[in-house]
Amino acid sequence: MRIRKWNCLSVLILLGLVISACAPASTPTSAPAAQGGGPVQGGTIVVGLQAEPVTLDAQQMTDYNSTRAGRNIFDALLHFKDESTEVEPALAEKWDISPDGKEYTFHLRKGVKFHDGTDFNADAVVFSYERQIDPNHPYHDTGEFAYADFTLGVVDKIEKIDDYTVRITLKESFAPFLANMAMHSATIVSPTAVKKYGKDFSRNPVGTGPFKFVSWSPGVEIVVEKNPDYWGGAPNVDKVIYRPIIDDQARMNELEAGSVDFIVNIPPDDLARLKADTRFTTVEQPGMHTWYVVFNCQKKPFDDVKVRQAVNYAIDRQAIVDSILRNTGTLANSPLPPVLWSYTSDVTVYDYNPEKAKQLLTEAGYADGLSLTFWVPTSGSGMQQPVPMGQAIQADLKKVGIDATIETYEWGTYLDKTIVEDAQTLPEIFQMSWVGDNGDPDNFLYILLSGDQFPPNGFNLGHCKDDKVDAMLREARASLDQSKRTDIYVQAQKMLTEDAFWVPVDHETQIVVMKAGIKNFKLHPTGDFRFKDVWLEK
Amino acid sequence: MAGYIIRRLLALIPVLLGISFLVFLILHLAPGDPALIILGPKATQASLAQLRHDLGLDQPFLVQYFRWLWHVLQGDWGRSIQLKREVLPLILQRFQATAYLTLFSAFLAIVFGVLVGIISATRQYSLWDRLSMIGVLLGFSMPVFWLGIILQIVFSLYLGILPVSGMQSPDQQGWLDLLRHLVLPSIALATGAAVIIARMTRSSLLEVLQQDFIRTARAKGQSERLVIYRHALSNALIPVVTVVGLQVGYLLGGDILVEIVFSWPGIGLLMMNGIMARDFPLVQGAILLVATSYVMVNLVVDILYAYVDPRISYK
Repeated sequence: MRIRKWNCLSVLILLGLVISACAPASTPTSAPAAQGGGPVQGGTIVVGLQAEPVTLDAQQMTDYNSTRAGRNIFDALLHFKDESTEVEPALAEKWDISPDGKEYTFHLRKGVKFHDGTDFNADAVVFSYERQIDPNHPYHDTGEFAYADFTLGVVDKIEKIDDYTVRITLKESFAPFLANMAMHSATIVSPTAVKKYGKDFSRNPVGTGPFKFVSWSPGVEIVVEKNPDYWGGAPNVDKVIYRPIIDDQARMNELEAGSVDFIVNIPPDDLARLKADTRFTTVEQPGMHTWYVVFNCQKKPFDDVKVRQAVNYAIDRQAIVDSILRNTGTLANSPLPPVLWSYTSDVTVYDYNPEKAKQLLTEAGYADGLSLTFWVPTSGSGMQQPVPMGQAIQADLKKVGIDATIETYEWGTYLDKTIVEDAQTLPEIFQMSWVGDNGDPDNFLYILLSGDQFPPNGFNLGHCKDDKVDAMLREARASLDQSKRTDIYVQAQKMLTEDAFWVPVDHETQIVVMKAGIKNFKLHPTGDFRFKDVWLEK
Repeated sequence: MAGYIIRRLLALIPVLLGISFLVFLILHLAPGDPALIILGPKATQASLAQLRHDLGLDQPFLVQYFRWLWHVLQGDWGRSIQLKREVLPLILQRFQATAYLTLFSAFLAIVFGVLVGIISATRQYSLWDRLSMIGVLLGFSMPVFWLGIILQIVFSLYLGILPVSGMQSPDQQGWLDLLRHLVLPSIALATGAAVIIARMTRSSLLEVLQQDFIRTARAKGQSERLVIYRHALSNALIPVVTVVGLQVGYLLGGDILVEIVFSWPGIGLLMMNGIMARDFPLVQGAILLVATSYVMVNLVVDILYAYVDPRISYK
């Protein structure tokens, strides 16, 4: 009897061993040996994403996972330079702007083909934009274009002048327009493919980009391969595979086990260890991101600038960056991230000073302290570690006599409750963060802090305004004079920090960790992963 | 028997109607606007309103529910709001992945659970019994996500013999690759169920072994092996079958943490993302499918009773 039982067990154990021994444990990156120091051709990169991309139609993308996996399939008329948000020619070789700043004429690159073999031309450009903004366009219902208003809302009409010239007329002069033309939402899609696949174009993307779509197994992987005929020169690697690995720890295990070559969202506690490991390379880039606490200026006590300043002094922001974020972010003083042009550090800086905070509260008539409600999301895009950060802020406020009650909400609910027209439904303070889209300061200062942008028009969630700043920001977005715009934005940052509409806390650093053999990878401020010039060393 | 099965299947209809209505109600009561979640904070009011209209979300609750039900009855399960795909093929494909995981875990749980239970019961208070009961206690106390991570670290990082996560390796397909990926998540998932089955088998077998007919069987001079496997076990298995049925149901719905830790492309993960995105058609469809399979598993268990225990028959 004993022997029989052991037979059962040993068969099972054997079965397990056979299964585990029958195939290689992982699929390591294969790349030919390097010859000399230059780029090597070939190889595959396996990328571990945080979650499954939602769509591969670049015009419909709203999340990092989608842009990271799919943006390389497409080109736009313009292109952000590496590591910068300055624009350079892409599908448009050059462009002219009329003196009134309303007419943009784009001269298109000739001889470019979509991955399905059809020609890129002016018709494709007109199709790509009208598909998004014209509700009567026959292919408008092939997608939801969340960014259409943002990117192309200012467009009055789009005309084909000849096969390789397109003229776009704006409703008004709008300086950030050129930067918009390099965004994922302004990419050019193959009209033939959209007509063929309809709504399923988002699963069968066809563009002109450096990588061609191969396959998408839902929940498993997305595969793209190099476009050997790319107008800007073919990529070095043969293939990139994107795998959704939801759990941070599991993603890191995959990297260390060698089955994934490249990961994002490394838990702050493990970062130092990975950095010290010579098998891996870490690439960091200060992102276009600001994490902040919003004051509700329509409610007491934060209609008073002194109370807003007091809270700014009361919070030890450096401690949050050091001990909670573990330096995965940099201390924020201005609403604008340092990576954007016109950023200035010459603003009112609120160093941690509880005494000053108490003094300001006393001056404002709150010598006995006050109590308030503080909304915090449990997680959310760009929110980093909202709950621990909220608790740290709560503890700091307690020290100056402010009794903050935290209420937490799930992200979907949180957005619903914070983007509201009636500021009276909001609590006194709440958390928010913003990730820039087009690298233009207007995308932070005007959208988040102008009096024109109270919801539902925009994203000034605290309903705070300074009329002088509003006039300046309006002037800056209409002007095409870059140095004048820079002056205005520098001045606006000084005034806005004096107004203290927010407590800016940090700018998140983008961090990826990859196998040491991956060479020439540069992070882009938009969060896109650019693999065109990357090569693999073996 | 046939009449019984038909009656049980008919009883499924009100159950599913009730479930679908409850889920619809809960999803709609939860704050959060699908249009806002899809288009993001940067969308204009006009485009939000347009999308709400396109999705039918501007209709009264009951209109939305009955419209959805009417379409489902005609075989149209709708389109996922977030993933922009037909719901039915999507959930069927994900359900397949969950089914692999559930079946393999159930297999492991039953084999190990019953084996450990028999060893413990037949050697009550022996070292084996104590060891396996300590194992049961440990297995029961370990959170599944923690166990999953530990398994990854031991078997993938240190030993390097099994893949860390996912359902298939890039550029590889086939059953062997799938099996290799199944091992760790299945162990993580099966542990909880296995320990419950082990305890159930042990106590049930101990109880049966005290009964008169076992004494009679022994008195007849039958070998201990025959006594346990023919007489005792077949009687002791009835409560075990019940627990197995419930546990398979638990595995079906409760594998979400395992799916997260192991990036297993199953229906639990799909449902969780669907709930976060307020993807009503997707969540509705997925829950309906899981509920149906749960009821079906329990139906099979009820039918199994009749085979395990001749005293039970259905008319």
